[in-house]
Parts: sequence; C-alpha cells; structure tokens
Amino acid sequence: MKRLVQGNEAVFLGAIRAGADFFAGYPISPSSEILVLAAEQAAKDPGFRFIQSEDEISAANAIIGASLAGAKSFTATSGPGFTLMQEAIGYAHQVEVPAVFVNVQRVGPATGMPTMPAQQDVMQIKYGTSGDYYPLVFYPNSVEECYRYAITAFNAAEESLSPVILLSDAFVGHLNEVVDVDAIEVEAIPRGRPSLGTGKRFFTGLTHDEEGHPRTADAAVYREWLSRIRTQHEKVAVHYSDFEFKENPSSDTLLISFGIVSRVVAPLASQFALFRPIRIFPMLSHEIHECAQSYDKIVVIEANDGQYAWLVERELKRDIVHVPLLGGRINLDLVKNGLSEKLRREVV
Amino acid sequence: MFKDLLKLELFPTTWCPGCGIGQLMIQLAMVMEELGLDHTNCTIISGVGCTGRLAGYFNVDGVYTLHGRTLPVAEAVKLVNPSLEVIVVSGDGDLASIGGNHLLHCARRNPNLTVLCNNNQVYGLTGGQAGPTTPRDTKTVSSPAGAPYDPVNLQNLMKAGAKYFYAKTTVYHQVHLRSCVREAIAWPGFAFVDITSQCIENNGRRLGFNSAYEMLLHFRRTYKRAPEGAETLGPYEIGIVRKG
Repeated sequence: MKRLVQGNEAVFLGAIRAGADFFAGYPISPSSEILVLAAEQAAKDPGFRFIQSEDEISAANAIIGASLAGAKSFTATSGPGFTLMQEAIGYAHQVEVPAVFVNVQRVGPATGMPTMPAQQDVMQIKYGTSGDYYPLVFYPNSVEECYRYAITAFNAAEESLSPVILLSDAFVGHLNEVVDVDAIEVEAIPRGRPSLGTGKRFFTGLTHDEEGHPRTADAAVYREWLSRIRTQHEKVAVHYSDFEFKENPSSDTLLISFGIVSRVVAPLASQFALFRPIRIFPMLSHEIHECAQSYDKIVVIEANDGQYAWLVERELKRDIVHVPLLGGRINLDLVKNGLSEKLRREVV
Repeated sequence: MFKDLLKLELFPTTWCPGCGIGQLMIQLAMVMEELGLDHTNCTIISGVGCTGRLAGYFNVDGVYTLHGRTLPVAEAVKLVNPSLEVIVVSGDGDLASIGGNHLLHCARRNPNLTVLCNNNQVYGLTGGQAGPTTPRDTKTVSSPAGAPYDPVNLQNLMKAGAKYFYAKTTVYHQVHLRSCVREAIAWPGFAFVDITSQCIENNGRRLGFNSAYEMLLHFRRTYKRAPEGAETLGPYEIGIVRKG
C-alpha cells in the first residue's frame, strides 16, 4: 500500500525485510527513529531482539556478538557515535563478521550541529578505523532507496562477511515520501555461517591464519589475509556497482554528487551532466572514468569540505572543482552560487 | 576427560610459566566436563590481555573480543541464543577498567552470564602497569612511587544491583574455585566470580616474591573462608554473596 514513509523508517523496514532480527543502539539525533522502531518491533515480535546499549561502543560490539550467534544484526547512529564504533568496525573486518551500521550524518566534528544534515563522514567511513580495510558503503537519496539499500546492505554484508555501512543524512533520514515498500522487490540472502555453539572455532581480532590461530608476528600470514579480504570485497562489490548517470552532450561539465545533494542538484540536468554514485565505496573507479571522459570539467558537490572530491581527483588524476555545502544548509541557490563562483560563469 | 575440552595440540600456551591463568583454565575445564558443557552447548567469550587468550585453548567456539568488550558481545550472544551457556573469562583490567561502563550496565540488565575475572591486580601483558584493582601504594612500572588510588571495589559494584551474584576466590583454593564457577553457572542471572590470581613475571617479582609457588602460598596464608551466611566478604575472605 502506498503511504508516507520517513527515510529512517524505510531503513528500518528494509532491515526487517532483509531478515534482521537484532538491533542494539544508543539514542542519537538524527538517527533515533530507527532505535525507537526497533524497540517497538521487539515489543511485538519475540523473535526480534533489542538492546538499548549504554553507549555506541557497546552497541557496535553487541551487533557483532549477535551476528556471531546467528542473527542478522544492525545498529544506527550518527557521526560522533560512529566515531565510537570505529574500533568495533575494524574488529568486524578482522573477524569477518557480517553486520550493518547505519550512519545518519549530521554536521561535525564532535557534537557539532546535531539536527543538521552533512556528508562529513565520507573519510571516516573509508579510513576511520586502524589498519587497511575495504568497506562496502551505500548512500541512498530517497525514501524508496533507503528501503532498497537497507536490504542490499544486509546482502552485501552476508556475501562479503564484513560490516557494511549504510550512509544517510539528517535530510534523507527525515524525508517523508510516498512509497509502497511492499512493491519493492529485493531478494534477501540468508545467513550462511553456522552460529556460535556449533563448532570449535576461535574468532579473534588478532591477525590469524585460516584456522583462526593467532599469528601475530608473521608478515606472510598478514599479507595473505589482507589480499584475500581485498579480493573478496572487490568480488562482492561488483554485484552492487550501482550509480546513476545522466549524460548531457551539450555540456562540457559533469557534476558528481550523492545522497541528499544529488536530489538538490537534479534540476540542473538540462545544463550539466550528472553522476551519482550509490555505492560510495569501494569507489566506482571504472564507471567514474567512463562517465567523466567526455567532459572537460568535473565538479564534485558535497556537504563537506571536499572529502569525496579529493578521492575523485586521485581516481581520475585530473583537476577537480569542488563545491562545498557547509553548516547544514543545502539548497539549489547555494549550489548555483557555488558553481558560478568556481566555474566563473553565471549558473542560473 | 576434562583434557578433551582443551586444544592440547596448541600447548604450551602463550602464558609465562607459573601464570595463574593456566590453573583457572584447568579448573574451568573440570567444571565444564562435570556439567556436560561442550562445543554443542557452550561458548567462551574472552577479552584482550593475557586472560583473553584463554578462549582459544578450549574445544568450543570462542570469541576473543576487543579490549574491554566481552560483556556487550556476550550479552548479545545470550540474547540471540538463550540455550547456549555463555561464559566470559577476562582480566581485571579488561572488565573493570576499559570495560567498566559495560560491567556497570550489563550487571544492571542482569543477563544470564557467567563472568570469571582473572584478577592479578596488574596489566601483565603490557609489562606490569598499575590497573583498576592494584592495591594502593603498590609499586608498578606505571606507579613507581606506589599506586596512588584505592582499587575499585568489585564486590560493592556488583552489590549495587537489586539482584546480584558475587564470588571471591583464588586460584590456590581450587575446590572452592570450582564450586564458585559451578554456582555461577547455575545462577540464573549475571554472576561475577572475582578470582585472585598470580602474575609472577610482571608483578610478583617486583613485589618481592621469588616464584609463583610463593605467591600461591601467600594466597593460602592470607585468604580465609568467610563465615557461613556472610552478607559481605572482608578484604581477604573468599566466599559467595548473592541476592536473587
């Protein structure tokens, strides 16, 4: 049935559709609706487990424990909470634990502007925990996509045996749109790994060999592990190379944006070509190269001070123009002003 | 045989000769055998530090969590799979310092977990720094003039809840230790067993002990059984206090 659904609610409903049966979290704006919905779900469905944790560190570790015990688990937070979860995310990469971390971004750093949207966790998501790792990250830009990519995130986590990040922002999370979630078809991949209490395995955050035995001073074991993880994640990422490209043969400029900013930029399709990565990481290298090759100028518009722009620049090895939308204000006038200033011509 | 519960092929263990964790491991294996706990019905969750390595020596699924995070992991495992016996084994630094907030709140939520705290009063693995349970005035590498603060009172912390189970024992008192572990597993809520243990290499020698054996004799001399029915354990009393 068609009805008004909020972005955060769609994330939750998508998680349920994916078979999620465990949530742990700590209240934080602008993600708290997801925690509240999970609490309500647990109250009506005894098969759904819920912990309101004492902090985000606890929540992140709880969803790891739940996953090892056989649940499909997730948590939802925002920038500062996501920072507290970083160590656990690294652990989940090391131990190969599938779980979904939802990050509804707000303006930072620190407590920042708790109810205002931002896209300032791009680098935190890619490089926030210690060591090398290759996270899979999706960033929907509509309520329908929140639902769709919540399911996708669980599937990608299951396939890659890794923590997958579902990015959102205060704007997308609090957006209300009319959708019929029941009409959205995304198949959910079931849990694969046998749960705790069935074997004699050892799950450790120490570098370990294939049997799980700690090997903490053997570079060859480490290199083999990292190479295997990288290949595994790259193989899974190929199944989810999602993006949106609107070419424009009459323009010499390609605008790259994602999440809520891509919605704001959409009316400029008649003047520019538009590219929107949905799988933010691993970067859609091949697709960005392909789409960028016919355009002289590449502009990345994002609600941070150039985090993804820097990565696109490194990827394309070309000069990139970046238009930052800062302080939680995101609208078309700001985009046009930014473009006019950076492109040195009036954009109307 | 209780030895069947251990991965003997991985022996010798990572621990120093004379370490108290080996004794804890053997006693736990004996109780598990007695209670019929094995890889089909039990999991061991351990934290970072010397004690954290214990889970890897048992023939059950084991999780070596991040430092301080045994309790959030264990509580979630128990919630998802209530029929599984979930045993947490970790050190005093892991449980009472870096994991202190989780200890406070996990005990408050009172899940059916058994927590065995190998309390050697020092950060052994990192070289012998003072920890949350180091007695005041003890000289360690990070408290050369003596530990400046009183140690955390684990008993009082546990007894802050409306329901609690707190047992105090030592690795010297093996029969008592086994009985505490047995009772903790039987307890239908959060059960905390505070096990005084020796770290000879990174604490004992600095305190003037020549061997682990001397430390064990010290435990024998100083720790006495609490009177029957005691509601509070004195500083050198072993026993169980509980309220259901």
